[in-house]
Amino acid sequence: MRVGLVSPYDFASPGGVNDHVRHLARQLRRLGHEARIFAPSSRADVDFDTARFYRIGSPIAIPVNDSVARITLSFHLADQVAAIVEKERFDVLHFHEPLMPALPMTMLKMSTTTNVGTFHAFARSNVGYYYGRRWLEPYLAYLHRGIAVSEPARAFLNQYFPDFPLRIIPNGIDVNAFKPGLSPIRHLRDDHINILFVGRLEKRKGLGDLLRAYEFMRGRVPKSRLIVVGDGPLRGRVESYISRRRLPNVVLAGYVPDSVLPRYYCSADVFCAPATGAESFGIVLLEAMATGLPVVATEVEGYMSVLEPGRDSMTVQPKGWAELGAALIILARDAELRRRMGGYGLEKAHRFGWDVVAAQIVEVYEEARMAATGRVEEINVHDAV
Amino acid sequence: MWRYRAFKAVQSIVERLPRAWAYALAVFAARFAFWFSPLARPRLQFNLRVACPELDDRELRRLTWLNFRNHAKAYADLMMLPRTHVQAMRRLLTVQGLEHLEEARAIGKGVMVVSCHMGSYEIVSAIWAATLTPVSFFAEELEPRPLFEWYRETRARLGISVLTLSVKGIRKVTQALNDKEMVITAIDRDIIGTGHLMPFFGRPAPIPLGTAAIALRLGTPLLPACVYRLPDDTYMADAGPLVIAKSTGDRKADEIRVTQELLHHIEGFIRSHPDQWHVPHRIWDGSP
Repeated sequence: MRVGLVSPYDFASPGGVNDHVRHLARQLRRLGHEARIFAPSSRADVDFDTARFYRIGSPIAIPVNDSVARITLSFHLADQVAAIVEKERFDVLHFHEPLMPALPMTMLKMSTTTNVGTFHAFARSNVGYYYGRRWLEPYLAYLHRGIAVSEPARAFLNQYFPDFPLRIIPNGIDVNAFKPGLSPIRHLRDDHINILFVGRLEKRKGLGDLLRAYEFMRGRVPKSRLIVVGDGPLRGRVESYISRRRLPNVVLAGYVPDSVLPRYYCSADVFCAPATGAESFGIVLLEAMATGLPVVATEVEGYMSVLEPGRDSMTVQPKGWAELGAALIILARDAELRRRMGGYGLEKAHRFGWDVVAAQIVEVYEEARMAATGRVEEINVHDAV
Repeated sequence: MWRYRAFKAVQSIVERLPRAWAYALAVFAARFAFWFSPLARPRLQFNLRVACPELDDRELRRLTWLNFRNHAKAYADLMMLPRTHVQAMRRLLTVQGLEHLEEARAIGKGVMVVSCHMGSYEIVSAIWAATLTPVSFFAEELEPRPLFEWYRETRARLGISVLTLSVKGIRKVTQALNDKEMVITAIDRDIIGTGHLMPFFGRPAPIPLGTAAIALRLGTPLLPACVYRLPDDTYMADAGPLVIAKSTGDRKADEIRVTQELLHHIEGFIRSHPDQWHVPHRIWDGSP
């Protein structure tokens, strides 16, 4: 099968959707399919085989959902896209966030092949979907099959488009890259308990709560260290908070490349995901579990679709920094609990391996192709009558 | 602390500049450092005179300036690291003697890369860490502490661990080598003052024996290597033939013998690229 994967987000910036697309493309190739990626990009080098990547449009940053989406809003993509689609003759075009302007919507409208859409996002509400429902509905009609990455992501879309059927297929994890026993960052492995945070430094990821929780924890577990992996608009404020409160042993690692990230997980004792909401899944939770780390997370819907509190994690209310600190203290003091939770998570993470997830997605492609053929036949019969 | 703040202020500008602009700024800064450094220039000039005794005063002065210039560019590379991607760096690196590195790795006892203070070694280390095996630097702790932390975390995000010259550091070096990883160290300067006097460019200088001691104890192959900048601002990593540390029963004599062999290679690297060997510190007696 020839598959075109379409992402609306800047492929040069790290993010969950692009990671998903990148891994899916690799896995599809392993399964014997041809995969190409379409995405806007702010840089030419995108850590992906350039022969299989089409850079379409320049991204601009737009605040969305307590975060920043780097998407292209160009209205001049059509000709470029039409030429590539004509040349490549895809069997399936797989749109990630198909209702996101401008690339997925433009391509979806122009597509003459089988279309599949994956919905990643989750929020309590969405003004665009609310007011744009009537305008967006025809775009959904172009999709032959829909996928949501979690139950919250499905519920979010169905809140506005209740008749659109979605199959839940979770995000995947590369269990060959994220596994226990990798070489740690050696200077971070000492007699300290390392708490790891991985995510963009933006409000909804809840790093502010984690810093307060860490401050609370420091008095009770002095030999602890907080490792923050990721970059973002709040970096300056985070740095100033750390220096103002004189928080010792906080490592701001910044953006860490994919090849090194698993080693940070292997340098940690506890993983903490303190998001305040609007998470549809939480790939970082799977990465932590796949490296055998116990998780402390907030009870946001996306996270709860992955976690089993008490077995692989301890969960607390969002924005409850004192509770978060208490959970970290419990895990920091109890090596046996850490080992047990980490072991359970490790076993569970293998259910989310990319081989399992990609096989399910290919199943959806087949279903969509059958549905598309059915639709074409229906149209032909109708025309004949 | 002011040194760190000044460094961070400059670094946050440099990391946002295109590479060519960052180098232009570095060369401008090098000009200042060259003229106004009270000790660094005379010390570096002294060291270069020992390494290249054939040069006359004019040539030596020019070599010292080129040295400052190259070192400033290496500093700019370091400052740009937080926003540099390994993928982009790979295009800039050529490796000579990769077969020696492969030979060392095939032995299965880790690799100890022995080098000198030359070039942008973070670049090659980051690429090797991403493509071959985890890399650790076995190096001195800088002052002030926040600056050292910055160095350490910047290197860590490229997959390079920084282990300090201490008992704990040695333990971690041993662990890394037992896990068949790569440890990079420099032996051209005795930082903690425990070096053994031996001829370095024909004059007695204190040289650390620790590297040889570790290799003798663990059987780790030693790979002499250096990194230098080419005229087009790309990088060349040059690895020499392996030095295998074999014990004869006399520990001290073995350490000295192995270190001398390593030093012989290091002298070769420095003689080939004296404009990139930047040690503005006291190595030999008589230095300013």
